[in-house]
Formats: sequence, structure tokens, C-alpha cells
Amino acid sequence: MDGKVKEQKQKQHQQKHSGPKAERKKLKKHGGPTEEDARKRNPKAFAVQSAVRMAKTFHRSQDMKTKKHHIPLVDRTPLEPPPIVIVVVGPPKVGKSTLIRCLIKNFTRQKLGDICGPVTIVSGKKRRLTFMECNNDINTMIDLAKVADLVLMLIDASFGFEMETFEFLNICQVHGFPRIMGVLTHLDSFKNNKVLRKTKKNLKHRFWTEVYQGAKLFYLSGMVYGEYQLQEVKNLGRFISVMKFRPLVWQTSHPYVLVDRMEDLTDPELVRTDPKCDRTVSLYGYLRGTHLKNKGQVHIPGVGDFQVADVNFLPDPCALPDAQKKRALNEKERLLYAPMAGVGGVVYDKDAVYIDLPASHVNQQQEEMRPTTELVQSLIDTHATLDAKMAASKVSLFSGSATLEPEDIGEQSGEKEGLQEESVWDPNTQRERRKVVFTTEDEEDVSGSSDDEDGDSEDSDQEDQGEDDGEKNLSTFLKEARAKCVETTKTGAGAPPVKRPKLEERKGESAEVPAFADSEDDLEVSEDEEESGGEEEAGRAGDSGHCSEEDEEESDDGEEESEGESGEDDVAADAAMKEKIASEEEEEEEEEEEEEEVEEEEGGLKWKEGLQQKASDAFLRQQQAAPNLRKRVYGSVVEVDDSEDEEQELGGLFRVSRPQNSKKFQANAVDSSRFSPDASHNWELEEMLNSIRDCFVTGKWDESQDAATLLKEDEEMYGDFEDLETGEVHKDHTGQKDPAEQNSENDDDDDDQEESVVKVDDKEAMKNKRLEKKQRLKERFDSEYDDGDATYFDDLKEEMQKQAELNRAEFEDVDDETRVQYEGFRPGMYVRLEIPSLPCEFVTNFDPHYPIILGGLGSSEGNVGYLQMRLKKHRWYHRILKTRDPLILSLGWRRFQTMPLYHIEDHNGRHRLLKYTPQHMHCGASIWGPVTPQGTGFLAVQTVAGVKANFRIAATGVVLDLDKSVTVVKKLKLIGYPEKIFKNTSFIKGMFNTVLEVAKFEGASVRTVSGVRGQIKKALSTPAGAFRATFEDRLLMSDVVFLRSWFPVTIPQLYNPVTSLLLPVGQKDSWAGMRTLGQLKHDLGIRNKPNADSLYKPVVRAQRHFNRLQIPKELQKALPFKSKPKQLQPKGKTPRDLQRPSVIREPHEKKVAALLHALSTVHNYNRKKAHTLQHAKHKQFLQEKGKQEEAKLQRQKEARKKLYRAMGQADQKNQRSSLKGAPKDD
Amino acid sequence: MCLQNNNMASQGLAYDGCNFFRQRLVLSTLSGKRVKISNIRSKDDNPGLRDFEASFIRLLDKVTNGSKIEINQTGTVLFYMPGLLHGGSVEHDCNMQRSVGYYLEALLMLAPFMKTSLKATLRGVTNDHTDPTIDMLKSTALPLMKKFGIDGEGFDLKVVKRGMAPGGGGEVFFSCPVRRTIRPVQLTDPGKIKRIRGVAYSVRVSPQMANRIVDSTRSVLNQFIPDIYIYTDHMKGANSGKSPGFGLTLVAETLNGSFLSAEMSSTPQGQGDPMLPEDLGRNCAKLLLEEVHRGGCVDSSNQSLTLLLMTLGQQDVSKVLLGPLSPYTIEFLRHIKDFFQIMFKIEVQKPSEDKRKGGDKVLMTCVGVGYSNINKTLK
Repeated sequence: MDGKVKEQKQKQHQQKHSGPKAERKKLKKHGGPTEEDARKRNPKAFAVQSAVRMAKTFHRSQDMKTKKHHIPLVDRTPLEPPPIVIVVVGPPKVGKSTLIRCLIKNFTRQKLGDICGPVTIVSGKKRRLTFMECNNDINTMIDLAKVADLVLMLIDASFGFEMETFEFLNICQVHGFPRIMGVLTHLDSFKNNKVLRKTKKNLKHRFWTEVYQGAKLFYLSGMVYGEYQLQEVKNLGRFISVMKFRPLVWQTSHPYVLVDRMEDLTDPELVRTDPKCDRTVSLYGYLRGTHLKNKGQVHIPGVGDFQVADVNFLPDPCALPDAQKKRALNEKERLLYAPMAGVGGVVYDKDAVYIDLPASHVNQQQEEMRPTTELVQSLIDTHATLDAKMAASKVSLFSGSATLEPEDIGEQSGEKEGLQEESVWDPNTQRERRKVVFTTEDEEDVSGSSDDEDGDSEDSDQEDQGEDDGEKNLSTFLKEARAKCVETTKTGAGAPPVKRPKLEERKGESAEVPAFADSEDDLEVSEDEEESGGEEEAGRAGDSGHCSEEDEEESDDGEEESEGESGEDDVAADAAMKEKIASEEEEEEEEEEEEEEVEEEEGGLKWKEGLQQKASDAFLRQQQAAPNLRKRVYGSVVEVDDSEDEEQELGGLFRVSRPQNSKKFQANAVDSSRFSPDASHNWELEEMLNSIRDCFVTGKWDESQDAATLLKEDEEMYGDFEDLETGEVHKDHTGQKDPAEQNSENDDDDDDQEESVVKVDDKEAMKNKRLEKKQRLKERFDSEYDDGDATYFDDLKEEMQKQAELNRAEFEDVDDETRVQYEGFRPGMYVRLEIPSLPCEFVTNFDPHYPIILGGLGSSEGNVGYLQMRLKKHRWYHRILKTRDPLILSLGWRRFQTMPLYHIEDHNGRHRLLKYTPQHMHCGASIWGPVTPQGTGFLAVQTVAGVKANFRIAATGVVLDLDKSVTVVKKLKLIGYPEKIFKNTSFIKGMFNTVLEVAKFEGASVRTVSGVRGQIKKALSTPAGAFRATFEDRLLMSDVVFLRSWFPVTIPQLYNPVTSLLLPVGQKDSWAGMRTLGQLKHDLGIRNKPNADSLYKPVVRAQRHFNRLQIPKELQKALPFKSKPKQLQPKGKTPRDLQRPSVIREPHEKKVAALLHALSTVHNYNRKKAHTLQHAKHKQFLQEKGKQEEAKLQRQKEARKKLYRAMGQADQKNQRSSLKGAPKDD
Repeated sequence: MCLQNNNMASQGLAYDGCNFFRQRLVLSTLSGKRVKISNIRSKDDNPGLRDFEASFIRLLDKVTNGSKIEINQTGTVLFYMPGLLHGGSVEHDCNMQRSVGYYLEALLMLAPFMKTSLKATLRGVTNDHTDPTIDMLKSTALPLMKKFGIDGEGFDLKVVKRGMAPGGGGEVFFSCPVRRTIRPVQLTDPGKIKRIRGVAYSVRVSPQMANRIVDSTRSVLNQFIPDIYIYTDHMKGANSGKSPGFGLTLVAETLNGSFLSAEMSSTPQGQGDPMLPEDLGRNCAKLLLEEVHRGGCVDSSNQSLTLLLMTLGQQDVSKVLLGPLSPYTIEFLRHIKDFFQIMFKIEVQKPSEDKRKGGDKVLMTCVGVGYSNINKTLK
């Protein structure tokens, strides 16, 4: 066959070399007629036909352009972004878990059994993904919609859309619209291809109307061995890994964590004695959104608001690959992290290592009894931490701030540690626990059980030593730790173990100074003392509101001392560091060290004296103060706390008593922002005056800004010029000569022989110079004229760009520990948050299938207040909502039940209460709830329990206003009745009960039902509550008077968070809050007796009788006859005198009458007969006559015919003869 | 269901002593955190809050809605639960113990974050020793706030009547528009001083006093720059308050639009030695030189306002160059850390030897909290 193909070669294309086509091509090749040409050739086609239309098109094009603009925002995305949260949503049995499994397998080549909790994977060199499955509980749907970056919306094509899909879409719309990608599954159930195509199309178009036109919809055609087809999953994965996301307002303004790991840190003994005690829990996850501040407030949807006790960042468990050379990831870099699903095995914490049971084992147990496994796990975990705690107490002793006796620890065996731990368990020691010792010790435990690290065994050996001899110095210890770090780094284990020791080392250093993790600070302590002493000397009161400077100093001294004790090694190291510092400072340092022991108690005073001499030199002191400023501002605050603790009991033995008076005096100093001048500055002296000369425009300027240099530059640029008219060349005389030129001159002097060569060089140099100058001129011109069309939008964008660059650059070179203090924990970090006092149900009823989200709260978002919102009942919700019926709102991070009042704004700005929401209109809603920034969207559901057939989202809306008071009013009509009526004045009773009430309403306008307006004048003495009122017309006794007033409504202060996560496993979707009135009545079987007046009855109307219309006589007379009232009465009996007597005939008369009657009858008969006869005769006659007429006409016709024929023949004859005659003539 | 709901985590702060009283209340109002101040002059012969502090609390109550203030019997313990800032037209008779500046400094911090734009009329002492005077705030704080985007129609501070200590009788009108967010700023280069302006005021004394002040001031400042103009402001009759006095406010404006100021006023009638106007002028000029020596883009009395506005900015880096931090500012920084968990990066910039630009400068850098005005109504 191949041979055949080769044989049948296609005919080659023959290029034309002549003819019109070739000519045209040639023309084109040589820059023939282009668009420009067409314009020239046919100018009419391009001429302006209509200025108006042109303006319109221009306008429209500009509109379209402007529409594409978004308000430029500062790009605050971190360099290493957190994993993208992909939420897989869909109704049950649609294939969510299968899809996640397939995608994970696609990216990491690993199979995951049970998907529970978030699964984080590395999908590419710069992208990580977190998959989360969303079950069918509306609580989960709401929570996950708030944190999702991308939603994979699974739709069962064989069934079509289900309510869950639409509900989720609506939730997304309210809480910022994440990227949504539809995935159609169960496509293999279609047997008919045409039906399949049609269904696809229908679903696609419906999906588009919900999301946006052209939204991506994926088709997963069929299953192969219980998995989706490889190629399709691969394609889906590719789509995911290149997808771009737009920032959502709520997400970018709040920090949040999708928790992927949870550990219970509560003391097991405490749990044993009181199983219901509040738990301390540490939660882990990637920080997203924005920077998280330590000790902030968080909301856990489904649990409540909590204060974070501590935040740390941990090494990334699922780090991005370091090397960027290769295109694809290798197997080691395809990481998978899913602690809740039991993957990962060993997990490193800040002070402990956790071992997870094998995944298969966990899975088995999970299905049987989840809670017990939890408990067992937590027990295992806490054993590890116990050791750590014990070790912690030991080390804190060595660092100097001794709180515990070493003997105690040495004596206590493993069993007793539990008791010991209780005493240790306070924030101080917790901080100490960061030491290297414990972690490595824990690592040792790990190495016993897991075999993923090679160098660990050596470490553990060292560890044991360190643990055994308690007398060992901290310094040596640190050394060991460092050495070990080197070792571990050499071994090159997986990412977490490598990073871990580094962190520990840093922490070890920082342990001494709780506020700052800077080793610098340790060195600066002495300077600090000195500086603060100087402060006192200068007589500046009120340095700190909390303590006098002496406090500060003493605490510093204590630190110094401890440092001295800790060992010579340390001091030596310090000294080495100090060499770098200015020699002057070093001297002071040494002085201090000497004096320290001697003067510890009275140090403050002595220092003052020493500094008094130095104080004359203000600059020097300022310089010394300089590096310490940060510590002075922030450090002292922390130290104050410490010192106060120390005050309570120092080492458990001593109490330091201090004169309280000085402290109080400080605390109550004058509160003024004025900064009194430095007394040492004498502004009479010339040198002082000189020291600020350059601050004025008259002083010396910088090189770059100095007028003289600028002028010179200008001259250089414009100095030489050639007058084109005269051809004269003006040389720049004032300007300096070019170095090249100078060189050349020197060369001339030195050597004449090389002149020619030099000249060439000179020329070259000149040429270069000219080029340079031209370039500069061009740049200047560009900068002046090209920016002309930069719009406001461009400027704004540029500004934002600059800000973003600055944000990135500012803290780039600062190490993470310090950076975290300045800007908070940045998104992308893997953080551990410790939360105390969580309800015990959170731990006991923990279900990894439900997402735990830590949503950071803004500065005042932890408060409650009144919220005014704009609300609209959802058009798919089948009922209207009633005022004061409890409603579950999802607002911000929170889900809570509250009782809204609906209202509408009248034209005068009054908020009038509505009983029900309008059907298809927005209305206002006021609630008592958490303070949330304006513009935040919310949605409302009536119940979160169970699954209902119909649409669950009751209403949506937006927060408009926050306040501490409400302005909703409802209409109140007070009704009264006239008691006595004068002309226009009436006494009204029944509206009020007392004179006082009337007095309040004096001057108020009232109205009757018939519309007569009036005003309340004054109260009457009797009866109580009656008043005098004037009206615009006289009232009737039957009138009802009413007063329309507006009564402020109070909003019920119900704020009831939905605590769905605390419910037992399996019942988490059955949270029931306060019931609505309707539900209550239904449940309790209460039926109100209806108001009898409200019942429908057959309408019985009495017959009405109207009086006759009376028209005055005068009017009647004037009316025309037609309009005059007619006498319509029936005729009555004719009166007797008008009645005629009846005629009674005689027999003869009767006979005559009968005969006459008979005769007349006969006569009539005859006449009739004659008439008919006559009629018939006449008819016949007419017929005859007609016939005759016809015959006559016929005759005439024929005669005429004959005549005409004869005439015609005669004519013909004449013609013929004339024709005959003519040739005859010829 | 009440406020002390278990569902809302408690977030109160506790302090001891009445020091930095305003800072605490202002920051509490802005952050929405409760604050409890105990031991207010508890060891003093005259314990409890002073009248001017009570007056300040009353002013705070006027501009907020729903604040809860509890003071114990002796006035030594204050509990403050902030409401929402409301604004609108406010009239307040300030206590005579402190000048209007004491109250106005706090209002300047709060005003941009109200529900409706603030129009405050404050009556009392306009110029005294302890607090920044109105003239100074007008010439330095207002242009400073403009850099943060607080600008527009109705941003105004007017001295309607001038009242010297101790009699008072002055009146100040302050109005400020409302902002939803605050712009981050980069004020790292103060520039060189191009002109010096000032106001020499005198009330209920000879109008000649002001002229005498001007002359003596010029004699000192003329060594540096010729562009000096000092307005003389002599208020008469109803506008002159109840006590005699005179004083001077000097403002140095730089090329980059930052303002450094100094001021001095005569000793109040019947308190201490009277002061010659010549001495006052000279001393005030020296104060200005001291301020120039300190330098920075913001003068020493406005440091805290600057730092607050930086803190409340969007989540971007703000930088400002300051002179040496005043004790008041240092404490303010600690308070900011308490209330907003914001720490500033503090870098000291030492002047190079050859440049004669005064003392050390401090470069303050921070990332804003992303504060948005939750009081403003959305329409």
C-alpha cells in the first residue's frame, strides 16, 4: 500500500510567471497597495458620512473600553501562595470522592482510600492544591463556599440539575463568587447519542445562565474499573493547574485557615477527672487570605468565637520543590499531605512529633467507632508532649530564670510526670518548651518507630546524654544541637526534618529574650540600661505608663546575670560578636560586667552618676540609644509583665518588695503630647546653630540636588552648540573637559609621535560622547512628551504597582521570626494555632468530613450590635418571611440564628415596620448580630436541619449600616369618639387615659374617618383622658377620630450561633435552633381561635328604600317637555259622568243589523273576487303586451341589420371601385 | 442574650493609672475593645478622675452612640465599652483645666471614622502651656491628615474666639469629612525648609505686644532663612475671651510639604512670673530650632496622630521619618500594639558627619491593619 501511495504523487503547484495574477503578486511583493492605498484610491469610502454617527461609535467604543476597567487594587498576593482550595460539590452519589481520588492519583500517583478532611498535594512547580469534599449538609456548603478558590461542581447528567447545585451556586453568589467549573458525570448511562448531545447542550446552557456565558463545563464520559478515564482526568488536572483566580473581597481582607489537622493538648488527667472540661486544642493549616496577627480573635463556623492563645509557623509539610530547572516534578516532589485521612505517618509539631497509625488501620477503625480512636490517638500524642514538658522545665532552669528544682525532675519517673506537668503548664514554660531538647528527644521516639530518617539514631544518642546529665551547660547543649543540625542537614532527609532543626536553633537562642528573637538584643541589653538611665537623668517623666525605669533595669540586670551564669562559652561568643561593635561601646560593656555583681541593688543611682558626665555630649548618647529604640519601645512592655511575675514569687522563694509610690506616680502623670525640648541644647551657641544649617533651603544641598551641579550638568548637555545660520561652533568653555580629552592632551605633551593614533581615539571618544548626549536628550524628550496620554487610570495603576513592590521589598530580607512580629503571619505559611477553652464536644464529636475553618476577625468584628441590611426574599423560596420569626443567617464567617425585623423606607426616610417581606421587592431588615463591615453579603435559611425537597435559601441581601440603636417604627392609630360637639370644636374621649398622656400629644394632628382634619388642643379635667380639639368642619356624633402615630420597635436581642460542629457524629446536620411561631404551633398542635369578625359569612344586605326625586315646581316649569317629569300613574276609573251608557238593540234593529252585516259580507266577497279577476286579466294583458313589444323589437333589429348590411356592402363597393379605378387610371 | 454572651470571646484590656488616658479611650473606641482603667490616682489626696478627664469622657459620649461608661464611686476605676462613632453636630464646653487642644487631639484621631461628618464646636481655653494650641494643630495636623487622604470639602479648623488660660471663653470650630479607608503614606524625605510662618496673637493686652514678639522672633530666625512672615492676630471684644495673654506659634514649611512647629504662650494671669514678649519670641524661635534639630517629616506633637493613621491604613507598608520619639509616642506605640497588634519597625537613621541636619531620625515602618470605617452608612 505504501508503494502505491508513493507512486501517486500529487501534482506540484505551478507558479505563474506571467499574466495578471503574477503581476498582482509582484505588486504586492514590492509594497503594493495596502490599506493606506485603498484610502487614497477610494477616499469617499473612508470619508466621514455622518458626524453624529461617528460621535456615537466613538462614544460606544470608549464605553466598552471603560467597562473593562476594574478599580486597580494593590496586589497583595504572597510570593509563595497557599495551596488553592478546590471544593468538590454535588448531590450524593454523583462521584465526588471518585473524582478527588482520580485527581490525586493523577497528580501524585498515590491512591487514597477514604477521603476525609482536606488533602493537600503539590501539583506543579508553583502550585499546590487542597481538595475538600463538600457533603450535602447546608452548613458545610455555606462554610466551604466562603473559603473555596475553585469549585468543581459535579452534576449527574443522567438525572439533570438537583437543588443542591443551585443552592450552592446561590451561596457562592452571596459570599463572593469563586471560580466554578462544572463537571458532568454519569454520561455513560445514555444509550442514545442524540439524546446525550441534547442533554449536554441543555445542561450547558442552564449552567451558563447561572455562572457566566462560556463557563467551562467538563464531561467525564465513563468509568473504567471504578475510575474516570485517565485522559479526561488528566485534562481536568491540566485545567486546574493553569487556572487563574481573581481576588474576592472577603477572603482578601480576612485571614483564614482551612484546618487540616487537630490535636487535643488538654491535660489527660484533667480530662480523666472531668470529661466535660474545656479543651485546649491546637489546629493546623495553611494560612490564607491576609496577614494573621498573633493573639487575635477567630471564629470557627459551627463552634463560636475564640481568642487565639498562640500562633506559630511550622515548616511546610507539603513544600514546593526548590529547584526550578526541570519542567516536571519528580516522584519525591509529588507530595501529598492529608493528616485527617491518615496519610503522612509522622507529623512534626513545634515541640512534639506525632505518629499516625497506618492508614489502613485507621480506616478500619474509623468506620467502626471514630470517637474512641480519637481518644486513643490523643492519648498517644500527649505522652509525647509529656516528655517534652518535663524536659522543658529542666532547661528553663539552666537559662537562669529558675522556677523548678532539678532534683524534683530527676526523681520523678515517667508515671509521675503527669502530676508534674500540671504545675509546669503555664504560659511561661510553654514558651520555654521551644528548646531544641524536646523536639530532638521526640524525634528519637519517632526514629524508634518510623524509619524515614537516617541520621536520627545518632541524634538520639546525643539526646540521651543531654537528658541524663542535668548539670550540663546550656552552652554545650546548644553546641550539640547545632552540630546535630549540621548532621541532619547533611543527611538530606525530606523537607520537614531539614527545616525543623533550623527553627529550633533559632528558638533556642531566642528563649532568653521572650519579646524578640534577635541575638542582637542580648548584646544590647547593657546599652539599654545605660540608655534608660540617661532618660532618668534627663528628667523625663512618664516614660512608660506601667512601670518606672527601675523595673526595666532590674529585669535587664537579671538577664545579664543569668547570661553570666550560663557559662563562659556563651560569654566568649558574645565577646566575639562584640568586637564588631564600636570600641567605645565595648568599653562600656566591660565596665558593666565588672560592676554588675557589685552594684546590682543600687545600680540605678550609680548609673545615673556615671552618665551625668557623659550626658553633656548629646549626640553620643543619641547614638547609643539608636539600636535599642525598638527594644525600648516594645521590649520593656513584655519585661514588665515578667518582672511583675517575678515580683509575685522569684524562684518560688523570694518576694521582692518595691516602693509602690514611685510607680503610681508614673502611672498618673500628666497626659500631654508635648515633647519638652532637650535641656542640653543651647541655641545661643554658634555650633548648635550650625548643626541645623542644612535643614534650610539656604544651607548646603546634596550632590544630586545642588543647584550648582545641576547647572553644570545642564551646561554639559547644552554647552556646545552649532549656530546653523552662521555655521559658527560655540564651544563649551566653562564645563570641565572630558577625561578622555584631558588624557589626550596629556598624551600630546608626553609623546608627539603617537599623535595620529591619539587623534583617532579622540575622535572615537567625541563620537561616543555625542551619542551619549543624544541618548540623554532623547530620554528627556520622551519623558516630557510621552507621558502626555497617561490617563488617571494608568497613574492609579502605577501607584498601586509601586505600593505592591514596596510591600514586597520592605520585609524581604528580614528573617521570618522577626517578620512575623511586624506584619503578622503571612498567607502561605503553615501555622499552628492554639486555642484554649474549646467546648469538649468539639473534640469528642470530631468528624473529619466536616471542614473546620478558622476565620480571622477584624478589629471590631468581635462585637455585637444592630445591623441594618437590605434583604430580598429569594425568588425560588416558596414562602414569604415573617417579621420576628427566627432566621438563620450566614454573614461573614458566621452562621447564626437571629430575629429580623423587616421594614421599608418611606419617602421621608422613615423606616416603617413590615409584617412580612414583600414578594418580589427588596426591603430593609434589622437584626441584632455580629458587627460586620458594610457591603458584606449574607444569606438566610429558615432551618439547617435535614434535607428538604424544595429550595432552602430563603433570602439574600447585603449589610448597609451598623449602629447601636435602631430607627424602625410601626404605625399606631389611637381612636377616640366625640363626646360633645360645638361648632368646629369637639371634646373627644376614649383616646387617652390620663391628662398626662394628652399633654404629651398637645398640638398633634388628628383626623376623622370621613377625612375632617383637626388638632389636639388641651386636656379636659373630666373625664380623664378627654381633650378639646378643633376641626376644620363640624363633626358628627357618629364620627370616629383617630391619631396616627409612630411607635419605635425594639429588636429582639437574639444572637444564637449555629453550633453544628458540636453535635454528635452523624447528627451534625440536625441542628435545631429556636422554632418559628408557626412551627411551634404546628408541633404543639395549638390552633388559635379565629377572630369571629375575621370569619367569612354570607353577606346579608337590608333592602334600601330611596325617597322620590323631588323637582321644584319652578324648575319643572322651566324644563322642556322631554325632560319634564311625566305623569306615569296608571289611569284610574273613568268617573260616572264620563262613562257612556251601553246600547241595547230592538229585535228589528237586530235583524236589520244582521242583514246589513250579511249583505256587507257578500258585497265584500264579490268585490274581492272581482278584484282578483281583474288582477289576473291585467296580468295576462301585460304578458300579451310584453310579447308584442318583443316581437316589435325583433323586427326592428332585423330591419336595422338589413340596413346596415346594405350600407356596408355599398361602402365596400365604393371602396373597391375606387381601388379598381386607380390602377385603371395608371 | 446579652453582650456578655459566651459566644463572643471577651476582648477587654486593663490598665493601671490615669496616664495616657486619652490614648486608651481613643484606641478603644477605634478598635472596639473594652478597656478598664483602675487605680486612677488611688493614692492621691484627691483621688479619682479630674474634671477635665470627666469632660473628655462626656465629649466621647457625645460623638459616640451606645457607649457604656461606668465609673465607681470614688472615680478611681473606669470601665469603658465603646459604642460606634456617630459624629454630626457636637457642642462641648471643655473644662478649663486643660485647653481645647487636649480634646481636639483626640477628635482629630476619631473624626475620619464617624458615621456622619463631624462638626464640633468646642468652647474653653484655646491656648495654654500644657497642650498643643489650636493654631498649631491647624497649621500642622490638618496638612498632615491631608496626606492620608482625609481631605475635601468641610475639612476645617477655625478659631472663632480666642480664650487664654485660666479664664477661657474661646471657641473653636472643627469639621472633618468621613473616610472609609486611609491611604498608606511614604514620608521619608522631609525636604528643606523653604519658609517660616507664624501667628503672634494677643488678647486683652496691648496690640503692640504681638509686634514686639514678631521682632524678637525674626532676630533669631533671620540667621537661617529670610522668608519669614508672622501674622499678628489681635482679637477684640467678644472674641477675646476672658483672660489676657499673648503668644506665638511658628511653623516651618519644607519643600516636600511637611510642617514643623513650635509655640509658646504667656504665663496665665496670676500664675507665676509674667513674661516679656521679647523673651517669649526668642524662646519660641529657639523651640522651633530645637524642633528643626529633631527634624523628621512630622513634628513632635503630631507623631502619635501619624502613627495611628499609618496603623489604620490599608494593608500596605507605610513609612514615615520622625525625629526622636517622645515619651508620649513611645507609650502610644505600646498601646497600638495592645489594641491592634501592630508593631512598628523602628530604624534609627544617623546623620552623616558632613551634613548639618540636626539629630538622629527614626524611620518608622508598619503594615496597616486594613481598617475600614465600619460606622459609615452604605447607600
